[in-house]
Amino acid sequence: MTSPSPRQLDGRGRFVRPLLAAFKLTKTYGTVHAVRGVDFALAENSYVTLLGPSGCGKTSILRMIGGFESVSSGAVSLDGKRLDETAANLRPINTVFQNYALFPHLSVLENVAFGLSYRDVAKTQIKLLAMNALKTVQMEAMADRRPRQLSGGQQQRVALARAIVNEPRLLLLDEPLSALDRRMRKDMQIELKDLQRRLGMTFLHVTHDQEEAFALSDQIIVMRDGLIEQQGAPEAIYAQPETAYVADFIGGAACIPAEVKAREGANVVLETAFGSFAVPGVSTLHAGGKAVLCVRPEQVCVAQAETEGKAQLKARVVHQVYRGSDWLLDCTCGDQVVQVLHREAPPSVGEDITLAFDTAKVWAAAVEARAVTPPEAGAV
Amino acid sequence: MLRRDFIKTAMAGTALGVLGPAARANASTDILWMTWENLAKDDYLAAFLDRHDISITKTFIGTDDEQFAKLRAGGASSVDLITPGLDKVEYYTASDLLQPIDFDKVPNAALLYETFNATSLGKVDGETYGIPFYWGINPIVYRADLMDEEPDWSVFFEGDAYNGKLAMRDYALEGIMIAAMYLGIPETEMFDMDDKQLAEIKKVLMIQKSKLRTYWNSIGDLTNLFATGEVVCAFSWVPPYYDLKAKGIEMGMAKPKQGVIGWCDTIAVPKDVSGARLDATFELINYLLGPDYGKMLAVGGPYAQSTSAARDLLSEEEQDKIFIKDLSVMDNFVWKQNPARYNDWVALWNEVKAS
Amino acid sequence: MRRSILSVGDWLALPVVAALIALCCAPLLILLAYSFFQVDFVTISYDLTLANYAKIAGSETYRGLIARAFGSAFLVVTLTAVIGYPVAWFVAKRVHAAKSTLLTLLLVPLYSGDLIRIFAWRVLLGAEGAINRSLMWLGVIDEPFSGLLFSPLATHIALTYNYLPFMVIGLWLAFESLDDRWLEAAADLGAPAPARFLRVILPLTVPGLVAGGLMVFVMVAGDYLTPQLLGGASGITIISAINDLFGTAFDWPLGSAIAWTMLSILMVCFGLGALAIRRSSLVAEDV
Repeated sequence: MTSPSPRQLDGRGRFVRPLLAAFKLTKTYGTVHAVRGVDFALAENSYVTLLGPSGCGKTSILRMIGGFESVSSGAVSLDGKRLDETAANLRPINTVFQNYALFPHLSVLENVAFGLSYRDVAKTQIKLLAMNALKTVQMEAMADRRPRQLSGGQQQRVALARAIVNEPRLLLLDEPLSALDRRMRKDMQIELKDLQRRLGMTFLHVTHDQEEAFALSDQIIVMRDGLIEQQGAPEAIYAQPETAYVADFIGGAACIPAEVKAREGANVVLETAFGSFAVPGVSTLHAGGKAVLCVRPEQVCVAQAETEGKAQLKARVVHQVYRGSDWLLDCTCGDQVVQVLHREAPPSVGEDITLAFDTAKVWAAAVEARAVTPPEAGAV
Repeated sequence: MLRRDFIKTAMAGTALGVLGPAARANASTDILWMTWENLAKDDYLAAFLDRHDISITKTFIGTDDEQFAKLRAGGASSVDLITPGLDKVEYYTASDLLQPIDFDKVPNAALLYETFNATSLGKVDGETYGIPFYWGINPIVYRADLMDEEPDWSVFFEGDAYNGKLAMRDYALEGIMIAAMYLGIPETEMFDMDDKQLAEIKKVLMIQKSKLRTYWNSIGDLTNLFATGEVVCAFSWVPPYYDLKAKGIEMGMAKPKQGVIGWCDTIAVPKDVSGARLDATFELINYLLGPDYGKMLAVGGPYAQSTSAARDLLSEEEQDKIFIKDLSVMDNFVWKQNPARYNDWVALWNEVKAS
Repeated sequence: MRRSILSVGDWLALPVVAALIALCCAPLLILLAYSFFQVDFVTISYDLTLANYAKIAGSETYRGLIARAFGSAFLVVTLTAVIGYPVAWFVAKRVHAAKSTLLTLLLVPLYSGDLIRIFAWRVLLGAEGAINRSLMWLGVIDEPFSGLLFSPLATHIALTYNYLPFMVIGLWLAFESLDDRWLEAAADLGAPAPARFLRVILPLTVPGLVAGGLMVFVMVAGDYLTPQLLGGASGITIISAINDLFGTAFDWPLGSAIAWTMLSILMVCFGLGALAIRRSSLVAEDV
């Protein structure tokens, strides 16, 4: 488990104050606990994604930071100042809304200039700044149009320009790409990342799409049921998932139930229904506890002959999906489903095969992040 | 409102023209009477239908204007008998819609009260086109419990005692007639007043307006205003007097000496009626002026017939109720006439109300 | 395929639409024709003339009554807008489960008919009415205050009450389509509450305001019953004057001319309203 810290170290080991820090942040709607006391921090000039399925509480967190929802308990601060005591319109934060929420009665330029009239900007400068922001997103040619006359991607750019023109300390993006088609989404991902680097601003991006999170982020916060399941750099999240949930949600790992027999340095010895394996794993695992063996599709292959040094599983192909560059096979080992990435012509459905994987590359994760604790509803 | 009226009128005319003759094709002699609903009750007409081989089809009217519009819109050819107001007959004759009454075929007309014989209304060049049929008066009705003395027309123009508690009918013709009677303008000049007289009328009507609670448009509404005490005295019709008395309110009815506004409806025969239908129509007219019908109307209405045919068949109380016990009331009658400059009257009335 | 199915619909709808247009327009056109005629007692002369319109322009009474009709209409539109705005907002944004019930309740007065509502106001405002009795019982006044009923005040209270539902319905529809995210976006961009109202809510509900306003405007301008029965001695309206001209005075040409003057002014109002909706936003031409 990552221990969240409101303080971070800079390159030279000095403590730096994070841009934004959340402490036991909680949101309840009546009897529903949407966010159940989360701690996290956002560094300056970083791209962070809140990743999780719908209903996990990620949007509630964003809305509390933006000021559209009150904080039920806990605190969130920006530059060391409490945000939950500041009205939404006074926060140095701007948002790109899910469906852009462009004002339909204003032109593109008027939309972008909207926020500037509430900032300390000379009237004469407003139009100039707004046009510059439109240039940044290559929309200056559309300045006089109404939002209705724009495509989804164009509206997306205008929404971005409308937010960044105010030079916020923090930019919130609420599923900004979900309304775009796949191709447009890929292009916009690249542009978003570029934009964040160029502006040196911190972006907090909410998404349910793990590919998107990996494409963009410096830091990913994986959420589940109102709690943070794991947070860290994308590489760490992918390679070292702390829980079965993260392993499954990210990269679709098969999670084979196991018992921890022993710990051997960085490795743990797992006892599974298919044999005993010594694999690297989460540091909190200890002998006698439960764990899961996470095997990702690309970490396992169909054994051609007896493969030395690799662990093996007997399996049967039950389904195959052709994906252009490869096949994804669903195989069953007993009642366990394991997905396999296969680059050549695959064995046919119903065929009995042997699967092999490198024990040094798979990973042992905890079953659950923590003992399930009752939410702190009483604190509201 | 106006559009609806227009369509209604146009459609009614069309319907009469198309359906009228077809619907009556079977009867040997059927006559179509366009009249007010309360004048053509079945029991009123039963004696007539028993005695003659004639059937009557009734078409009811809502306003006099509606009747005129229907006739003008082409209904004249299918209607055998209409019921215009005495002052309105002029409209029909000017539009050449009527034929003169043949008094030889209406023996009961000999019993007409003198005032109806004498009037020039309903006549053109000595020929009668609309024969007076039934009549009444529009008196002042007041809450006797709330007023000290019997009012006359001056109550609407003088004094402060009843300010804001008076009501006047919203009708230019009667409103201006009352002002003229108050000013002492004689009946002979009343309907042909010059600009100076009209200016005088307007002046007193402005004073009147300042004293009014409201102008009334429906008699039911006025009755209501009397009952709630919003209005204590109004130029009215007779019904509120009896209705509210029956409910235990002490009501009074005044017939001002300066002149009593009398109203009278006539029966008239459209121009194209002829042959057997014309004969049957005159039979009906004779019946309507006769004693059987007169008694029914006096008791059921209660309204007075224009002839004395039924007078002796009525009790004194019944006579009193329809103002024929003491016939001298007729000496004070001022019949409504169609003023020469009626459009100016209406404009003047609206000017007063809009001021 | 799609096109041919649609064109069947066109052909089926055409006669009905044509008949409706003809039925709506014909009487109006006849009125228009009449407005250029003249009447002499009961004879209508068919020589075209502008005399009727000249008479209206020259008559202080008719000009005043027309102005009063539209002044009243404008006043009632303003009152219903001010009252209806928060009501519509509440129904659209704060009520969820009971929404249809509430809207039905709002329309209940309309089911009862003009006269019943007018008489209900009589009962409330009259000299022996509920308000006067309550005030006397409370000792605020010693004798009934008669200025409540039969006054322009009573007329406008009743008109506002009568036509409020139409304004609320118009505004309610506008609020229903007002996305809360626009307000969040405005707050997000730094706009304080008053600015959010003036720059976002108001312009985006203008179509509802104009639609509701036009309905109320037309209906108030054409309502003669309420002023007649509650307005007292000054309860005359241009509509009842037209009625007099058609009925008692048999001056159809002048009546038609006034009717068409009213109609023309109303059409100008509608034109301006349509323009306002068009400019306000949502119907800007798509590319």
